[in-house]
Amino acid sequence: MEKNENMQFESPTFTQRLKGMLGVDIYRLFHTPLFYIFLAIAAIIPAMIIGTTGMPGPNGEMTEPLFTNVWQAIASDNPLYVVSHIGQYANMNMVFIFGGIMVSIFIAHDYKSGYVKQLFTTHPKKQDYMMSKTIICAFAMACMCITYLLGSVLSGLLVRLSFTVNFGSLICALLGKLIMSLGWASLYVFLNIIFRKYFAISIASSFFFGTGILIIGAAAVVGNSSILNIFLYGASVSACLSSGLLSVITCLIVSVSWAVIYNTIGTHILNKSDVY
Amino acid sequence: MNAIEIKGLTKNYGEKQALSGLDMVVPEGAIYGFIGENGSGKSTTEKIICGLVLPTSGDVKLYNTDYTDINIRSKMGVLIEAPGCYPNYSVWNNLMLHATNLNIEDREEEVRRVLKLVRMEGSASNKYKNCSLGMKQRIGIALALMGNPKLLVLDEPINGLDADGMRIMRDILTDLSQKHNCTVLISSHILGELEKIATHYGIIRGGKMIAQMTAEELDKNCPTFVALSTKDIAKTKDILDSKYKKVVFDEAKENLRIYDDVSAEDVVKYLYDKGIIVNEISTSKIGLEEYYINLMNNKEGV
Repeated sequence: MEKNENMQFESPTFTQRLKGMLGVDIYRLFHTPLFYIFLAIAAIIPAMIIGTTGMPGPNGEMTEPLFTNVWQAIASDNPLYVVSHIGQYANMNMVFIFGGIMVSIFIAHDYKSGYVKQLFTTHPKKQDYMMSKTIICAFAMACMCITYLLGSVLSGLLVRLSFTVNFGSLICALLGKLIMSLGWASLYVFLNIIFRKYFAISIASSFFFGTGILIIGAAAVVGNSSILNIFLYGASVSACLSSGLLSVITCLIVSVSWAVIYNTIGTHILNKSDVY
Repeated sequence: MNAIEIKGLTKNYGEKQALSGLDMVVPEGAIYGFIGENGSGKSTTEKIICGLVLPTSGDVKLYNTDYTDINIRSKMGVLIEAPGCYPNYSVWNNLMLHATNLNIEDREEEVRRVLKLVRMEGSASNKYKNCSLGMKQRIGIALALMGNPKLLVLDEPINGLDADGMRIMRDILTDLSQKHNCTVLISSHILGELEKIATHYGIIRGGKMIAQMTAEELDKNCPTFVALSTKDIAKTKDILDSKYKKVVFDEAKENLRIYDDVSAEDVVKYLYDKGIIVNEISTSKIGLEEYYINLMNNKEGV
């Protein structure tokens, strides 16, 4: 308790503040159809890709299958930053693109409804807001990764694709992707804080960065270099079917580092600008 | 102690200056009526106090502490423009979410309490988006009252309220101020309502505070006058001018006002002696609304 002459005010701790905000965000996440729609999209996308791979073309000719193994829909065989085959793009990294759109809509609703008005009046610590949104959006994207996995496995079973894999590497790849949800979520929360007054730009920028187009462009110049692992897209690519514990550690360091960077800059921007 | 103390507050939106050196003092426990024309800077001032907008320069203190202090801000209730509610959630859920944010221990009890205060117990299950404007205002007030705030900032809270809603609002605010020493900063264009509850007033114009006073001071600044009409207003004015301190022609009502220590009976008798018959006469007092309009127009009677 802090005494202020004859007026006393309770001092909410960091844990209390974050708990309160997360409580609201968790409720909102599970009570918005948006979340379930994106979970369904995450499951349907690999099912569509796997289900249509190797199907006859319009003239009856057999197209080359994108995948021969179901786990290729989860991650590429090797950490390829420059790919020669569209199938090498079509893996769980796509969740991070759609996740960006979900985060944009989720945060835009805070501003559209005026919720932030109530929030920032009683919660002046903007860092709490950044952290709460990052955590909940990372959780949502991790859930999307899981439904993507389920969609892939089920459709793989239906079309009888091979399930042969190095199980340890697969677990490392999956862990890496799940961990990367945190880094991606922090990027999207950051972008949506910058463009909070312009919803269309928020979505467009999330999509732009989610595709990793800048890193793909850089990869075209420097080749399949592991230096690209320091970026979110690069680290996400490194979580592949040949990855080991080192890849998981790389994903963890990259994800947490970017989360800290984006949260710090985002908090600074919120502190130095009109929030509503 | 002052609940709000503002010195030299300025706010620029690009080229436009919304506030230009605003000074403001709101004593603890006051109901401070914040009055001004549209675009005069009321909402900007309130948004700055609530931490939603950053000042360009100036000093804002809440209870002698910087306005960004987390301890003080956690005891603020706010209703600025419309309540910040999710349209697809029920009234109950919206209030529960706010209670969660405020870390209130018994959230359900608190939500019931504020719903009862604003007489919305029966509408708790309604979706927010289906509520009428008046109901939304009540919900906004309920949100602001959660967690027993020590400082309430209310921007146009009585807009859209029906007569019963206004009465409830008056009772709540008076009760909070008198029994719980809660300070209320309230802006409104409905000056008649404001006059019934405010203990202090601040009048803002062009981003500057042009007058601050207590209700007692306002009362002193609002003189009583005798209003009368006759067949020949011009002649009557000439006669009255020679006897009384200040006689003013009210263009709107087409009558004369005498600002002097005089009774209606004396005026009637005096004019009768001068051969003038008074058609209508009454004794009145300038209200807040008239005081404000006169102040804005730099008219007589202020």
